[in-house]
Amino acid sequence: MSDIALSIPRARAAQSFSATRVLRLIQVTCIFIIALVIVSPLLLLVVASLKDDRFQILADMGSFRAFWVSIPTLSNYAEVGHLSGELAFGRYLINSLIILITTVCSGLIVNSMAGFVLAWGSLRGRAVILSIVIALYVIPQESIIMPLVIMVSRAGMADTFAVQIVPWVASPLYIFLFYQFFSQLPKELLEAAEIDGASFFRAYRSIFLPLSLPALATVSILMGIETWNQYLWPILVTQTDYARPIAVAIATFFGQDSIYWDRAMAASVLMMIPILGLYLAFQRWFVSSFIGSAVKG
Amino acid sequence: MVMQQSTSPSTTVRKAAARRHDTGRLMQEAAMLAPAVILLTVFLILPFLLSFWTAMTNQPLVPRPTPVRFVWFNNFIRIFQDDLFWTALWNVSRFTFWIIPAQCGLAFATALLLHQKLPFRNLLRGMFFLPAITSMVVVCVIWGTLFQYPTGPFNQILGFISGGAIQPIDWLGDPKWAMFSLVLLSAWQAYGFQMIVYLAGLQGIPDELYDAAKIDGANAFRRFWHVTMPGLRPTHVFVLVITTIQAFKLYTQVAILTQGGPKSSTETVVHYMVRAGFEEQKMGYASAVSVILFVIVLIIALIQRQLLRRFDV
Repeated sequence: MSDIALSIPRARAAQSFSATRVLRLIQVTCIFIIALVIVSPLLLLVVASLKDDRFQILADMGSFRAFWVSIPTLSNYAEVGHLSGELAFGRYLINSLIILITTVCSGLIVNSMAGFVLAWGSLRGRAVILSIVIALYVIPQESIIMPLVIMVSRAGMADTFAVQIVPWVASPLYIFLFYQFFSQLPKELLEAAEIDGASFFRAYRSIFLPLSLPALATVSILMGIETWNQYLWPILVTQTDYARPIAVAIATFFGQDSIYWDRAMAASVLMMIPILGLYLAFQRWFVSSFIGSAVKG
Repeated sequence: MVMQQSTSPSTTVRKAAARRHDTGRLMQEAAMLAPAVILLTVFLILPFLLSFWTAMTNQPLVPRPTPVRFVWFNNFIRIFQDDLFWTALWNVSRFTFWIIPAQCGLAFATALLLHQKLPFRNLLRGMFFLPAITSMVVVCVIWGTLFQYPTGPFNQILGFISGGAIQPIDWLGDPKWAMFSLVLLSAWQAYGFQMIVYLAGLQGIPDELYDAAKIDGANAFRRFWHVTMPGLRPTHVFVLVITTIQAFKLYTQVAILTQGGPKSSTETVVHYMVRAGFEEQKMGYASAVSVILFVIVLIIALIQRQLLRRFDV
């Protein structure tokens, strides 16, 4: 690891030395080993979820057999994948997906429209609204949850899908990210559009939004992770199976029945699949836009 | 947060807009801004203001026939008299103290590794970021298995390395170890985001500085110490502050794995608040705790602003 973070990213003359090559190989191998150690708990989870016998899972845990399954079986998934009844993780997964998709889609629209107006609008009071939005970012979700529970239960929203979606659609952080992204685009775009007779909204929809793919991808991933991992809020506002998300279901099951590892693990893998898909789909833009300093602390 | 002043295109655009009907455009802008403003007002500003009001009442969770009374600062006084609250505060401070080196160290180290030109760099970045997209609930299921007493993987590994000299540790059931165990799993789950932030910071240091240092004959270590580290100062501040705020809000891991036990050794501020509000049904009391939590977070954020000003970012 001699040259950590200092290698100048520029094409160097081809090293003819084999010694450097060998060092490089060792270095890359080391990084891969570290990566494997980091990811190994997740591998354990997937492997264990494919084992039929829950006592075997525990017995295997202390050895390398933990990473190996001789006869993979989907029986655990069959046990927890029901759409109704006691182990209706299939249903909870669908609930979570409904909440995820609705929150992220409406969040992208609402927050990007607001960010666009704050960046390019001519309304009076834009600057004030922007400062308020930035100030609101400091308020942690945990410190508004108590009155919010009372508010939604008075409004008869308890135990619905809406109560898990609507409060978290608009978010100061994402409005700010969109605002930042849109402000970096050249203003000539808007001028040209307006001269061509496009309305303000039309310029946003047909010109700026298609250009903001990296920002849309970043916000999708961040918002997706945040929504998918909500725990405290849904546990307070869902009492029945009707709209219960999978995170709450797994936690409850795990708390009561920590003996059924196999089922808890299969349910956990189910829970990982959608967010992994979202991440893989948008990863290219996400990393580049993030590292391209869209978020500068 | 670094604010970039957008070059407002107001003048030119306004002329163009004036040529067309200006009011129509303003109506459109207002309509586009309205959903966010309404939602933020109803679901963020309103409950936030309400929490200050509720904190000064004896409001229960479920409406009772007796009217809600205004009790001034009674709730706060009772909180400060409660030993358990101070235990919770002490616990999150301990947690913060341990998680900062664990999480930020891991994030910084992995970012340094991944910043180099590597084959499969994107694959590696994806791998290192995987824990960060894993839900805390799933993380608790996995680590609950790893921490099993007495025959879980960690205890097996310890026994194997020490040849049986180390007795199995009851990771989550022993007051000495419970908080430390939560630090381990939390750092593993959350370092990915900080890693990305560090990668962005490393990307922001101009190559010319490294070239100049090389020409001046600085070796790799000195380049790291005199170019990389100063260039990352604002990133360090940001990461430290984010980690601290997260740590003070510790809840999910505790709720799933330890419920604040053993012997209140993992009781946290948010867990204390939720218990007061929902198990004991004292909404006013719980709101007072949430106000205290907000004040803590605000102080940390203000400290960050001061530090960033100092570095003149």
